[in-house]
Amino acid sequence: MLGKRPWRMAAIAAAISLLVAGCGSGDSEDPTAAGNTVVIGISEPQHLLPTNATDSSSAQVLNSLFYPLVTFDAEKNPVEVAAEKISVAKGNRVWTIKLKPGFTFHNGEPVTAQNYIDAWNYGAYKPNAQGGGYFFDRIAGYADLNPLDPDGDGPEKAAEPTTNKMSGLKKIDDLTFQVTLSAPFASFKSVIAYSVFFPLPKAAFSSDGVIAKGFEENLIGNGPFKMKGSWVHDDKIVVEKYADFKGVVPKVDGVTWKIYGDQMAAYADLVDNNLDVQTTIPTDALANAPADLGERFQKSENSVFEFIGFPTFLPQYKNPNVRKAISMAINREEIASQIFLGSRTAAKSFVSPVVSGYRENSCGEPCEYNPTKARELYQQNGGPKEIKITYNVDGGHKSWVDATCNQIRASLQVNCIGEQEPKFAVMQDKLQKHQDIGLIRLGWIMDYPLMENYLNPLYGTNGGSNYYGWSSAAFDTLVKEGSKAATPEASIKKWQEAEDILAEEMPVIPLRYGQNVYGYSERVTNVEVDLFSRVNLYELETLA
Amino acid sequence: MFRYIVRRLLQMILTFFGATFVVFALMFANQDDPVQALAGEKPVSASLREALTERYHLDEGLLSQYWYYMSNLLTGDLGESISGREIGTLLEDSWPVTVRLSLMALVIAAALALGAGVWSAIRRGSVFDNGILAFTLLLLALPIVVLAPVAQWIFGMELGWFPATASRNASFYALLLPALVLATTVVATQLRVTRTSVAENLRADYVRTARAKGLAPRRVIWVHVLRNSLIPLVTLIGVDLGVLMSGALVTEGVFNIPGVGSKLAQGIRTEDGPMVVGFVSVLVIVFLVMNLVVDLLYAALDPRIRYE
Amino acid sequence: MSDPTLPATIDTRPRSLSGDAWDDLRHSKIFWVSSGLALLILLMAFFPTLFTSANPADCTLSRQYAGPSGGALFGFDYQGCDVFARTIHGAGNSLWVGLLATLLAGVIGLFFGMAAGYFGGAVDAILSRGIDIVLGIPFLLGAVVFSGRLSGAGDDGVTAVTLTLGLLTWTSAARVMRSSVVAAKGQDYVAAARMLGASPARLMFRHILPNAFAPFIVVMALLLGANIAAEATLSFLGVGLKGDAISWGVQIAEAQKHARVAPAPLIWPSTFLAATVLAFIMLGDAVRDAFDPKLR
Repeated sequence: MLGKRPWRMAAIAAAISLLVAGCGSGDSEDPTAAGNTVVIGISEPQHLLPTNATDSSSAQVLNSLFYPLVTFDAEKNPVEVAAEKISVAKGNRVWTIKLKPGFTFHNGEPVTAQNYIDAWNYGAYKPNAQGGGYFFDRIAGYADLNPLDPDGDGPEKAAEPTTNKMSGLKKIDDLTFQVTLSAPFASFKSVIAYSVFFPLPKAAFSSDGVIAKGFEENLIGNGPFKMKGSWVHDDKIVVEKYADFKGVVPKVDGVTWKIYGDQMAAYADLVDNNLDVQTTIPTDALANAPADLGERFQKSENSVFEFIGFPTFLPQYKNPNVRKAISMAINREEIASQIFLGSRTAAKSFVSPVVSGYRENSCGEPCEYNPTKARELYQQNGGPKEIKITYNVDGGHKSWVDATCNQIRASLQVNCIGEQEPKFAVMQDKLQKHQDIGLIRLGWIMDYPLMENYLNPLYGTNGGSNYYGWSSAAFDTLVKEGSKAATPEASIKKWQEAEDILAEEMPVIPLRYGQNVYGYSERVTNVEVDLFSRVNLYELETLA
Repeated sequence: MFRYIVRRLLQMILTFFGATFVVFALMFANQDDPVQALAGEKPVSASLREALTERYHLDEGLLSQYWYYMSNLLTGDLGESISGREIGTLLEDSWPVTVRLSLMALVIAAALALGAGVWSAIRRGSVFDNGILAFTLLLLALPIVVLAPVAQWIFGMELGWFPATASRNASFYALLLPALVLATTVVATQLRVTRTSVAENLRADYVRTARAKGLAPRRVIWVHVLRNSLIPLVTLIGVDLGVLMSGALVTEGVFNIPGVGSKLAQGIRTEDGPMVVGFVSVLVIVFLVMNLVVDLLYAALDPRIRYE
Repeated sequence: MSDPTLPATIDTRPRSLSGDAWDDLRHSKIFWVSSGLALLILLMAFFPTLFTSANPADCTLSRQYAGPSGGALFGFDYQGCDVFARTIHGAGNSLWVGLLATLLAGVIGLFFGMAAGYFGGAVDAILSRGIDIVLGIPFLLGAVVFSGRLSGAGDDGVTAVTLTLGLLTWTSAARVMRSSVVAAKGQDYVAAARMLGASPARLMFRHILPNAFAPFIVVMALLLGANIAAEATLSFLGVGLKGDAISWGVQIAEAQKHARVAPAPLIWPSTFLAATVLAFIMLGDAVRDAFDPKLR
């Protein structure tokens, strides 16, 4: 029996373990950049098929593999890139998109109008369950591809869509196609800059409307870089220059998108110069970033907007004056500088400064910190004895909620507690069931740079992110009129009028605007991070 | 002996179904809204919600979900995670690095526990014994969520002794720091148990007999005493695998190791039922095999124990 | 401890195990030091106001990271709270959670381990499979689910955290107990007692248990330390104590993020935690030494 030699056995077991542990390792080196290439840190993208990719990591990668129809200039106005000309007729309903000639996909296929139509139809078709599918809902025929369950969660099944082609998409010739919207929208051109509107080559489909197996791991795009090898999940995605690219050529020869599960780990690599760019330095590392990185620690604006909402079913917050008093009790600047260490700025309007039409301090006095006035107003209007702010604990919100509560407690002389829920979905659920969850923390990142992309989803009666249920017919009408207006300027005017209603009603307390806080290694220069928290790959350079 | 092993293997099948069912039920209980968890805080369109709910049977009961899962599993199909990836491939990708990491941690912990444990048992009450006591307490008092980032900062970033992060194909050296951190989760208990049982055995009759026979003190301790003291330690190593996996959830995240731990943490966070159950199923099998080995080792170490 | 020289006079009173143990303990310096420390910590837990008059919830950002002043011996933390006051007031929840969770785990582990080891056969098979199943559940998953479901809205999460830790940590105690019982069962004196007609209960509690108890006590003492520390892990994962509840774990989880800028708010609660764990482990050691017949 083995029993006679336990020692030998133990020794052998230990030796085997060490061998297993030691071997099979070190054969592939870390993706430390060599030559004129850079390493940029991201999280694992949820998806890379453009119509399914809605997180910022996949947007970054897709941006290297694809060339968008339009992009935004310094004033956030859309300008054509892969499109030669985008024109509009019939009161902002029918849009004609003409593509630049000579572009090819990375497999040599020419880029045609049909590639866009196929990709968009795939994205909108309900059984494909694409995360970015809702972007197509302005296009005529979207509803036919997305029949809704007649009784919600009930036993009745939704009807199968009758077609997988949107009636609003029409090919004119190889390089031109026409998009008909279901309702006029003056700023549609801004919407199609988003990555869900990228084209897909014929090679992406194994048959009509079916994506070929393995395509997502080996994407073929129309952009400046092509995949070098497949997507190595949880590890890296390597892209290299595409020689036949006809657009603006980037200055680096390739990018390694290095995938991190935890952004603190990415930061450790950045400090060690194993990573060239990190677009979002985690808040916990910010205190050390200026010392660790010096000049290589930078900030730029992004579209994040953070606020606190008042669920309308709670009677104690019905009075707008109570809401204003709570708003005045909060010292936004102190929290932005001491809790967020400058990675946020104080917000005093209801839309982010990155959109045209933004006005500084449109909120006015109610967003200024004034503890004395806040307490007077609060007591006159009989605010509740205890204030509760509910937040999802997986998002790193504890610090600022605690600090906000401390301020409210000091200013209003009432108790304030931060209530934790494990996940955002639990908060949503409690809201739907009208449970007393107090104030709720919320945030928003825009899909396209328009005021409308803040006003409608956040405050519109049917807004997708209007979780607190505020509703104003006058506000809805103004937003709708703005969307239909003849020119973008006329739109903005209507939208600003709508924002003024928000300032009177205070359905939410604006708290902070986001900032990209990014850092880079000693190897690279000309690092810019845009509104969507993406590195500008066309400017980025390595130091020889 | 053979019959014993066969019986244990049969029991394993039962445990496997039990454990997967419990985990499945837990995930089911934890499931608030996986579709929303996938989308983060972005609103989910009604159309997308319906399509995903149907694809993953999210609106059906616990038993029927478990049935779908098991019937696929028995045909060798681990299924797809809710984010649309093959769980089989995910496992293949993440398994090797975690095995290496935890083996390294186990070996480090066991070596430290044996060496230091025996020494402090011999020198009970000495400076060394008290020093080791204080040190293990410090490790015990510092939760791994503190220890891992602090170790990364001090040894990886400030002193630069180790790489700050590792990756899937990390070298032995790159995994050393995470393995050390992971080893701290189990070394304290192992060391204390070793010390206690060695101290106890030192006073046993057979030791006195061995000494009286004139055996070299070194031989008495390292052969007679240690062999009998190993039993509780071996038991612990079987249990420790679970502790190590919990530790790996945090350690792998901090050191960016795309192993089982970090995937599992991600699956739990995103309420990805199929993925968590797939990973746990494999973990459970490893546990069961490890524990069978541990039980067989008992018999090997202690001739008084007989399995029929 | 075990003095080889014989006492001058021979005591003829009948001696019990506990009487012997108490005699032993009375003369142990370690026992007095550790129980003194433990008493101090318990005092702190139940009467925090004896130690500090500051309100631990009185925080303001303008004092962020300010140094020690007045009653605030340890300075101020990230939120501008008094670290000393919070450490003192945190003792209650930490200790409460740790003690109760360990007690729960110990009771479950003791009975399951003993039953499995003593009866063997089918009982052992079923209980051991139960242990395997619990061990198969990843701690994080168990913690998220249990504490998520166990805590009601508006409470501070103490009950939920205690139950969660107890339900997830009893396995190590059970396994150690089981293997000790299996080993003790084979001893001659047990066989002798059985042949003398001792009932199973008597065998188990009078003969096997005292001999199998030593490793168990050690595991329990360690588990207590680990549970007090585990509360920090749960807080870190966001399923720990909730709302305004203060504990060393909550403090450590929060201060860890800013340790590079301000180490003091991390060091102090950690020190208190380490001292508490030390006290209980030393106490466990002393008690074990006294009770273990093999060490006499």
